[in-house]
Amino acid sequence: MDLIARIAKEPLLIVLFILGVSILLISSIAQNASLETDLDEYMPATHPAFVFSDQAEEMFSIKDSVLIAIEHPDTIFNAGTLEKIKTITEDLPGLFPEVYAEGITSLYTADNITGTDGDLEVEPFYEEIPRTAEELLALQRRVESNEMVFGRNVSLDSKATLILAEIDPDADAADLHVRLEAYAASFEGPETLYIAGRPIVEGAMAELGPADMTRMVPIVMVVMIILLLLLLRSIRDTVINLVIVLFGTIVPFGAMAVLGVPIYAVDTMIPVMLIAIGVAYGIHMHNSIHHSVQTNPGISKQQLVKEVLTAMIRPVSMAAITTAIGFMALMTSQVLPVRYFGLFASVGVMTEMVLALILFPASIYLFGPPKIAPKRLTDGGGNKSGNVSRKDGAWGSAMMRRPLRVVAIAAIVVVLGILGTTNVWIDTSFLANFEKGSDIVITDNFVNTRFGGTSSLNVVLSADDPDTFKDPEVLKAMDTLQTDVETHTLVGTSFSIADFIKRMNKVMFDNDPAYDTIPDNQDLVAQYLLLYEFSGDPETLAKVVDYDYQNANITFQLKSDSSAVMSEVIDMVAVHEAAMTELGVTLRYAGSGYKAFVFSELLLEGQIISIALSFVIVALLLALLFKNLLIGIVGTIPIAITAVVNFGVMGLLNIPLSSATALISSIAVGIGVDYAIHLIEHYRNRRLEDVSIHDAAFETLAHTGRAIIYNAVAVMGGFAVLMFSVFPPNRQVGGLIVLNMATSAIGTLSILLVAIVALDRKGKFIRIKSTSGLKEKLS
Amino acid sequence: MKHSLKKIIVGLACLGAVVLAPVGATMTGNEVMQQVYTRPNGNNMSANLIMTLTNNRGSTRERSIVQFRQDDGATEKKLMFFTAPADVRDTSFLNFSYSDGRSDDQWIYLPALKRVKRIASDNTGDSFMGSDFTYDDMGERHPSEDRHTVLRQETIDGWDVLVVESIPVDPKETYTRTVSWIVDGEWIGLKKEFYTADGKLGKTLGIDAFEKIDDIWVITDMTMANVQKNTSTRIQMKDVSFNNELADSFFSERQMRIGPRT
Repeated sequence: MDLIARIAKEPLLIVLFILGVSILLISSIAQNASLETDLDEYMPATHPAFVFSDQAEEMFSIKDSVLIAIEHPDTIFNAGTLEKIKTITEDLPGLFPEVYAEGITSLYTADNITGTDGDLEVEPFYEEIPRTAEELLALQRRVESNEMVFGRNVSLDSKATLILAEIDPDADAADLHVRLEAYAASFEGPETLYIAGRPIVEGAMAELGPADMTRMVPIVMVVMIILLLLLLRSIRDTVINLVIVLFGTIVPFGAMAVLGVPIYAVDTMIPVMLIAIGVAYGIHMHNSIHHSVQTNPGISKQQLVKEVLTAMIRPVSMAAITTAIGFMALMTSQVLPVRYFGLFASVGVMTEMVLALILFPASIYLFGPPKIAPKRLTDGGGNKSGNVSRKDGAWGSAMMRRPLRVVAIAAIVVVLGILGTTNVWIDTSFLANFEKGSDIVITDNFVNTRFGGTSSLNVVLSADDPDTFKDPEVLKAMDTLQTDVETHTLVGTSFSIADFIKRMNKVMFDNDPAYDTIPDNQDLVAQYLLLYEFSGDPETLAKVVDYDYQNANITFQLKSDSSAVMSEVIDMVAVHEAAMTELGVTLRYAGSGYKAFVFSELLLEGQIISIALSFVIVALLLALLFKNLLIGIVGTIPIAITAVVNFGVMGLLNIPLSSATALISSIAVGIGVDYAIHLIEHYRNRRLEDVSIHDAAFETLAHTGRAIIYNAVAVMGGFAVLMFSVFPPNRQVGGLIVLNMATSAIGTLSILLVAIVALDRKGKFIRIKSTSGLKEKLS
Repeated sequence: MKHSLKKIIVGLACLGAVVLAPVGATMTGNEVMQQVYTRPNGNNMSANLIMTLTNNRGSTRERSIVQFRQDDGATEKKLMFFTAPADVRDTSFLNFSYSDGRSDDQWIYLPALKRVKRIASDNTGDSFMGSDFTYDDMGERHPSEDRHTVLRQETIDGWDVLVVESIPVDPKETYTRTVSWIVDGEWIGLKKEFYTADGKLGKTLGIDAFEKIDDIWVITDMTMANVQKNTSTRIQMKDVSFNNELADSFFSERQMRIGPRT
């Protein structure tokens, strides 16, 4: 404390120091900071699911594709559209370096294997553009009779066709969607072109989210500044608050830049957290200063600083440390960006704490004690309840007289919350981040209704023995699995070695649909495969089976990128695991969609663990701080209520639990614990000063309650702005912060207060030498 | 005197140069490649082939084939029987290739199905039996399909070699430039490099062993490596024999079903 007071005596040095460090850090951010948008960088590389998926992706050259759909109002079987398909197929690799030259699939590249009158024909569907009506009709017939193409590359109504372009995962595809759209636009009319696929959605999202945050955060700040000015009626304290929040944000980002840690998308939440938390410290400091000046109007600078620091060092530092530890709990996560998030958010919190404790005293040394207008003398100044403002009085009376009612209401809220929580569904979907009417969603819907689907899941089958995937029993089991999983409404098509064998069998029996089956003879399967290699494209085969026929890949096209859908499909696949095991085949999953799914599960698991962990840590810290285990438990009530209401509202409003929305619940912990500490500390101090239970409660409400409400109002008002964001996830973030601030504040001022008073009445809150508690009991 | 002596020396030197110089030194690229194309390869031949395919992960597939070839000048007929792996044994493949430029005729017999199917395919640029070789690479590409230039002379393993650059007449071909190392006078290639339109090396053909059998040069071990896909195919030839005249009826659907018994 002496140290802080001594530092605070040098306000100009502090300003210079802050300015200097800010300039250094900002220049470091400007030079070194790098935004990491490659989702693969987020994945824990050593996690077995990711290791296996990476191996499988390499084995079967599984890559994300961009999908270009061409829609013609009547039919794609006309010279103009066929010409466009050819041109795009031929031009893409040259125009877009991130596209694999060998990785383009379209009607123009596809080989058609057919059997007619004893002949086996292996031909491209077309090379020269068919022009006559007969030629066009013949082409249409060939397409319609090939189930490897019809419904996959050409829609069943023949009005749309798909060009798939594999994207190099290492290529920087940041503005690929913009360049592709411009390119596609040059082919419009009468056809309409649609660009879809994971690389497109990822690219658009990597840009949109942080860009929207950068646009919205300044507006949030402005609204908050106005609210703080109105509430605090002090330019000086508003500016200090602003400095705390800004510097508190610059330090963690500067530290990241200095240490060479890239900025991940989750890190856009750091300023959000730090604004909500930093403002709380400032307001409590402001409140305490005003309290002291009002109690003792002629107070000297030194005396004021001493009083404020005596009152605030403990609660502010404890609040900051518990919050920081809550963030540090995120470091148990398996996901690297979340670990960094936890680390650097706590760095920010600690910075804000130090700043709050130094800047306010420094401002007293610099400008003298604040002048307070007499009419604002409404804060709980005296030791008697009569001095409390009417509003606080009414609230306080309600709390004190009808504690059971408060408990009952809280109980109802908690029950409703828990009911809602059971409705919470875990879901991570990139597409859900975009407006329903946005181009990206419309395009995705279009491709999903006409074709197999824009997302994919790879099911990788492995066996110990070579040639397992020539075994008709195994192939039939695969076919059964595919047929079964395809019954899911959001599963479009599937593709495996079984489809090749069925196709070859049908072709060899002169296109007789009765032979669209797996033959019973393993040698025949082997001979079909040899024949396919002879006549077709051996690389297509390499995408479904490895060289030794020991590993096979089934690709399912999904019409949704939601992790909830992925989870359902995986459950359907898993049903077949027993049958496969009997055949000596193990089932695993791969692909970027699957990795994103595992990633979101890991992320959520980690966040739920960290919330639970910080709950325990907070309870223990509060118990230690107040040397009372019961206080520790009671102190977690606001956090618990905030968390339950948060998840409950998410369940009721159908907001899925995703990485972004789950991080918000960390705010519940951070803010809830601050409120609890300030409330309990103030109440305890009053009680230690021998104030009666009743008066202590009323005074705490008037003093801490006011700070809590100011804090909540300022932050809520600021983040309410986010609810008007153009980026739906940011809207959810804004809404949930407003909700969490409100529940934290109301919960602290009602049920926590009631609980503490109840504990106190039972003599379990504090051991006091005086008899005031006893007196009250007797009266 | 001095003058005329000098003339004589120069004249002799010139004469010597003409006599001692390799034949190809004065030939155009087109002439060299025509020599290669028409190098005698026997009117008929039989051999055991081992084809080893290696994929980009280093896994290999090995196939053993008995091959019979007969050429009457107008039509080259090839009949191949798989002997290994076991599950494709007796699968046979018949190919008629015509010198007048018509598309090849091909038939396949699958023993498990007991059916012969004619394959209708225009496949000169296609992969030869799923390997890194194309039908063109297997020696069926006519010199008139490219414009050839002799770039320089080199020596490889003691052989005088002409380095010939070939540019396809059709600019849309996968490989827009090839460079061949041809043994001067013997007209056998020692290696060949294939370049794609962007100037990058696409694949390389290396000849690891060749020998004269019945006075005919036979490449007995060669490997085509696709540099970009990181795959390769090695073809080894064993038990090569020439001039065992086969009846025309041998190259037939019936024989495809019977197997490699003559």
